[in-house]
Amino acid sequence: MSRARLVVPFAVSCAILIAVACSSPPPDARFVETTPDTTTFPAVAAMLIQSCGTLDCHGTVGRNLRLYGDTGLRASALDVPSVLIPTTPDEIAQDYDSVVGLEPEIMSQVVASHGANPQSLTFYRKPRGLESHKGGTVINAGDARDVCITTWLGGHADATACKDALALP
Amino acid sequence: MKRATLTASLVVGLLVGSCDPVKDNAIDALPGNAPGVRNGPLHRPGQPCLLCHDGALGDPQAFSMAGTVFQDANSLTPLDGAIITLLSADGSTVTATTNAAGNFYLSADQYTPHYPVHVKSIVSGTTSIFMQSHIGGNGSCAGCHVDPAGPDSPGHVYFDIVGTPP
Repeated sequence: MSRARLVVPFAVSCAILIAVACSSPPPDARFVETTPDTTTFPAVAAMLIQSCGTLDCHGTVGRNLRLYGDTGLRASALDVPSVLIPTTPDEIAQDYDSVVGLEPEIMSQVVASHGANPQSLTFYRKPRGLESHKGGTVINAGDARDVCITTWLGGHADATACKDALALP
Repeated sequence: MKRATLTASLVVGLLVGSCDPVKDNAIDALPGNAPGVRNGPLHRPGQPCLLCHDGALGDPQAFSMAGTVFQDANSLTPLDGAIITLLSADGSTVTATTNAAGNFYLSADQYTPHYPVHVKSIVSGTTSIFMQSHIGGNGSCAGCHVDPAGPDSPGHVYFDIVGTPP
């Protein structure tokens, strides 16, 4: 085979690859997100704060999943952990943004499909032990924490499960 | 000759491999021993013990859980003789007692925590208190309990619940 017969396909392939690699969405493109329920999130937040939000875990400013709450990191500079000042609405709102903002596109897909395939979310895989997690397996399939989160992703959090989750070790 | 070279390479490799500038900086930022106090059970109360007591090559004895209990929120007077009971996620419990500096420690040989660990009780005299949240993975009390108290710290561990954090 002549050199020319090799060079031409190679050059065309390179051109196509470069064109595809350098393509980007139009500057006015917007992703329309389907967000999980906010009305039942406070019950989910209470569970997350207790099981994940300690000061040596996700109650730390350096974490991607940063959780604020009464027994952990406080959002207000005037508040202190564990001094009987309940979790504030502002802290719950910031926790919601933190959870939803981790993988917004995937979260959107899961919520749009009414909670199908929660394993696609890192937020779910890690505590379930399906992916390496420094905090180990925090949620077991079917337990109250699992039901609390999956029902929330599916539409509305099961308040009873979220409350029961607070009693888990 | 070959053995000596191999050994030297191994030592150099271990020394280089054990370098952690973030940890080194954290240790350097700590105050040293108080005047007249030597390295030992009574030194450096209130500091994050496991930073140094980590079992790394050349470091002191490894601890799995250690800290200091003070008498109240507004002073650094140590609480001697307090009994701390820890409850591991596997249901097992272990106790430790504070010394004259308020320090307590459990070596890695004595106790392997299964996180989350709850501070089930701190007992002094006839009074018992407990920690509201659990310990997620840091065996040093002072990893979280740092003075002054603020949004990211409840302040040092103290027993007397009367009063306000400093």
